[in-house]
Amino acid sequence: MTSTVPAAPPADRATAPVVAVRALSVAYRAGGRDIPVAHEVSFEVAPGRTLALVGESGSGKSTVAATLLGHLRHGSRITGGSVTVAGSDVFALTARQLRRLRGSTVALVAQNAGHALTPTMRIGRQIAEAGGDVPVTELLDQVRLPRPAELARRYPHELSGGQQQRVAIAMAIAARPKVLVLDEPTTGLDVVTQRSVLDLVGALRDELGLAAVLVSHDLGVVAHTADEVTVLRAGRVVESAPTRRLFAAPRDPYTRRLLASVPRLDDTGLARVGEDGEREVRPRSAVPADAPVAVTARDVTIDYGTTRAVHGVSFDVRRGEVLALVGESGSGKSTLAWTLAGLRTPSGGTLTHPAGDLARPARSRPRALRSRVQLVFQNADTSLNPRRSVGDAIRHPLRLFGTAATRAEAADRARILIGDVRLDPALADRLPAQLSGGQRQRIGIARALAGRPDVLIADEITTALDVSVQADVLRLLDDLRRERDLACLFISHDLAVVRGIADRVVVLRHGVVVEEGPTEAVFAAPGHPYTRQLMAAALEPDPDARPRAGGTPDSVPGWRDAATPDDVWTDHGDGHRVRRWHPETEAPHETAAATAEETEGAA
Amino acid sequence: MTTLDTPAPAVPVTPAARAVRAWHTLRSSRTAVIGLAVVAVHVLIALLAPLLTSYDPVANDAGQALLGPGRHHWAGTDQYGRDVLTRVLYGGRYALGVSAAATVLTIALGTVIGCTAALRGGWFDDLLGRVLDAVLSVPSILALLVVVTALGTGPAVIVLAVAVVYVPQVVRVIRGAALAVVPADYVTAARARGEGTWSILRREVLPNIVDVVCVEFAMRASWVVLLISSLSFLGFGAAPPTPDWGLMVAENRTAITVVPMASLAPIIALATLVVGLNLAADGLSKAWGVDRIRKGSR
Repeated sequence: MTSTVPAAPPADRATAPVVAVRALSVAYRAGGRDIPVAHEVSFEVAPGRTLALVGESGSGKSTVAATLLGHLRHGSRITGGSVTVAGSDVFALTARQLRRLRGSTVALVAQNAGHALTPTMRIGRQIAEAGGDVPVTELLDQVRLPRPAELARRYPHELSGGQQQRVAIAMAIAARPKVLVLDEPTTGLDVVTQRSVLDLVGALRDELGLAAVLVSHDLGVVAHTADEVTVLRAGRVVESAPTRRLFAAPRDPYTRRLLASVPRLDDTGLARVGEDGEREVRPRSAVPADAPVAVTARDVTIDYGTTRAVHGVSFDVRRGEVLALVGESGSGKSTLAWTLAGLRTPSGGTLTHPAGDLARPARSRPRALRSRVQLVFQNADTSLNPRRSVGDAIRHPLRLFGTAATRAEAADRARILIGDVRLDPALADRLPAQLSGGQRQRIGIARALAGRPDVLIADEITTALDVSVQADVLRLLDDLRRERDLACLFISHDLAVVRGIADRVVVLRHGVVVEEGPTEAVFAAPGHPYTRQLMAAALEPDPDARPRAGGTPDSVPGWRDAATPDDVWTDHGDGHRVRRWHPETEAPHETAAATAEETEGAA
Repeated sequence: MTTLDTPAPAVPVTPAARAVRAWHTLRSSRTAVIGLAVVAVHVLIALLAPLLTSYDPVANDAGQALLGPGRHHWAGTDQYGRDVLTRVLYGGRYALGVSAAATVLTIALGTVIGCTAALRGGWFDDLLGRVLDAVLSVPSILALLVVVTALGTGPAVIVLAVAVVYVPQVVRVIRGAALAVVPADYVTAARARGEGTWSILRREVLPNIVDVVCVEFAMRASWVVLLISSLSFLGFGAAPPTPDWGLMVAENRTAITVVPMASLAPIIALATLVVGLNLAADGLSKAWGVDRIRKGSR
């Protein structure tokens, strides 16, 4: 787990490539025409090396990776080139040989392990089913899961996301393959878990001499894991280079723009990316000291049945300010957002807005208050009704909240709002399925703006977007809060994004605030070990990134909570305060992390 | 990296365009087209019956009783001397009319209750589930007979009785479909706007389960037609001189060896209608399923 990955074998040890893709072209037929998905893609991977296929959605990276397993999506076909794995041409194999290839030579680790595991089968049996002669417990041990014998008897739902992904990896390496295809293996995992899974993959690759093909849109993951990178765009290879060279001196303008779009932990504002990939960081707008407070939360507790998701959280959000709630999944940050939006009721504490009490559910809030607090969802694909045009989606709240008195006025205002989120008003007649992901998210924002809110809750709004689109949406959000003097509650697990947009940060862990303060202060000197661990785990798009404040996640010392009811905070001045904690010397971090992950799985 | 890039097809969404799309979907399934055509023919015949035959479906003519098929009476006559073909042509009116009314009522009630149960959840859903279980445990024909014996045999009572019997099953299906829609973020968004259950149901849920409702309608219609004809056969539906398929089978089965066509003709009519409805339901559900997969929407 501790291996820092660049353990790439020296060049002279490089053996014959085990994977060779030559001028591969894939197309699917639609409307009587061939539509290319991949065009003359070529790459090679030697044993013990990792090649990353990088690109935005629709770049064909997953399609190309799947061809290594001889898999093509229904309706697609190879229009040229070849795929050779361990000496055999994959698409010349018979069905039987192909099955053998998939069983023993190439293995796939899919994006969402929670879906890839059969829910009704115990872990041990599932792994045994994957074949191979290696005992199950040994495999589980190999993927660094504690107490393998006990774990093998559990069901998938009893494991945390990170543990599930480790089990999926154990299944993939069960038959001792030569090639491992990793399709977005850490998307959807928390930063700390992501880091440890990637370290595991790196370690296994070295131990077993695997050739790995990593598909990812996350340049941080790629920089951390890959030896070579192939950048794809619209099915074509844009640039192919060793990782270090690519990140240090990208040659293609597209690669440069892509790299520049990634938010960095040391950006002091949002970066604007030029045509040729030059970055220009816009400083954050200063929030006036006398800005009115829009939302006040005091000692809010929220329960799910008998479990308490949020323990006494307090914060203020002022007009024109972006407050970020940061934490891993299960930290209660989304629960807080939903409670503010009136979808849950808090079980204790007060939650107020100048226009009324926010502790009540949306239905019993007066209309004036309802329209003032609006929520933007994480996943724009599901937040718009697929059967209604986007114009309709915006017109409806306009009428509902009384912002527009007549139909004609609603139609006009909807078009203005679509323009305000920097889209073409002509899109009003489209269905959501006819828009791109970024456009849909903008429509989601426009819909939230329909009631002229002064509080906007943004729940992980950029998580599902590509980096360049993410940068645009973040900039839009920043513009809107300046123009409309919005108080914005920005919920995210991505520290680099938070650094760019937030004025203040609240770090949540298991429903408890462990640190809060101005963004600059928290990032410059994180006071709580949990914050340091989060920062250390964040992956930067730079293979030579120096460990930040707290070093690697493993070097963060063990700690225990030392807050007492009358002495909770250590004050660092200027509103920066840290929950009291004590170093725990006797417990090494390794086991602390394991138990943390286990409790998460049991919850 | 421009932000205003828009995918190529700029198809405006008007009701007309939606209808055209639905029609194309429908056309893609031969089963659905055949089924709907059969049903349409039945409906046309029932409506145009007076133009298609010159005989009176009710008037007795003792001199013409129990004739076999011939030049004047293509399907022969029954024991009262009435033209069988005429009675079959008219006979669809009662079955189709009552069935259509009963099915519309059943589906409407079932859809509203099913969606509400899915949206509300909690005690409402639990209680409803148990009540429906209780109703479902009573055999349908028995429940119908009880209602009819208690309230009489008018068409209105039959419609109501059919609704009582079939609403629980429809609720089950619609609730299941709606449950898949309810967790979607757009429903959550409507809740966060503080909209009422009815408004969410109409705007957000219903448009997304319209296909399920349509298929359920076609499938349920064939059951209802059968059930209503069974009732008539048992003597609880249409009153005697009325031309009705179920009733005709019951009246003429004593003379089945003498004039088999008198019993067979209404049976054939009934069978084709039911097969037509089933084909339509089958074809529609497949066409929409394929459509969903192709469009990639939920």
